[in-house]
Amino acid sequence: MTAAPEVLAELQGLRARVPHLTGAMVASTDGLVIAHLVAGMEPDGVAALTAAALGVGARLTDAVGHGGFRELLVSGEHGYVATYAAGPSCVLTLLATADANVGRLNLEARRAGARIAPLTGGPADRRERAPVPPPPPPSRAPLPSRPGHRPGNNNDNGASS
Amino acid sequence: MTNTETALKDAMGSIEGALGVALVDYGSGMALGTLGGSQTLDLNVAAAGNTDVVRAKLRTMEMLNIQDAIEDILITLGGQYHLIRLLTGRGGSGLFLYLVLDSRRANLAMARHQLKRIETELEV
Repeated sequence: MTAAPEVLAELQGLRARVPHLTGAMVASTDGLVIAHLVAGMEPDGVAALTAAALGVGARLTDAVGHGGFRELLVSGEHGYVATYAAGPSCVLTLLATADANVGRLNLEARRAGARIAPLTGGPADRRERAPVPPPPPPSRAPLPSRPGHRPGNNNDNGASS
Repeated sequence: MTNTETALKDAMGSIEGALGVALVDYGSGMALGTLGGSQTLDLNVAAAGNTDVVRAKLRTMEMLNIQDAIEDILITLGGQYHLIRLLTGRGGSGLFLYLVLDSRRANLAMARHQLKRIETELEV
């Protein structure tokens, strides 16, 4: 992606404006990192997980008839992970500490998402962000199994072994 | 005892010169309710920004070792007054009322008195 330096500059601006921001990343909706400012973790893994969460989020808003995906906010014990639509093919994911000002995070991220959209090839966005289209219905792929857990033996509850 | 919606309506209706009012959670920076405002006065932006104001003051007091609580904060602009009043009642901690007044029409003493009454009656 040739737009990466501009996107990265946008992320740096975001980090300067929003206190409590611990990481920021722009990724494509299929989980490829375009630019990131995260330290201490693997950005590829976070992008891949974001893509998975995004798929579920988009399907959920579609299922209840609320249109395309806009934002996803996950609150953990020690902080927030928030994902915002940035055009039809990209998302902006932000990591913030638990004492973050979520109102401010939302405002800044929505604006940044709208600015990032044209940089990544999306439509130059007016007030509305172009929603991410809902993904195709899920193929019945098995969930990845935990290490040490034998796949294909779903009904064992420990008694049979 | 009044609920959020009634309190906001009360503030807009009974306080002379009121341009907008919001009930804000300064834990998250998000507004629990807003009333009034305009194209140029986005109360959700105000909620997020004034959360930083309240947090900064609380932090400053902590650094100065002041064992006290903020009752209200007044910000005087050229043409507006901004009043921030922290909620004290049960269930109200971590919240503040934010009121924007047109300074040409408002009576500051009366507005402050009215806002105090609304805050005491408010139950979230």
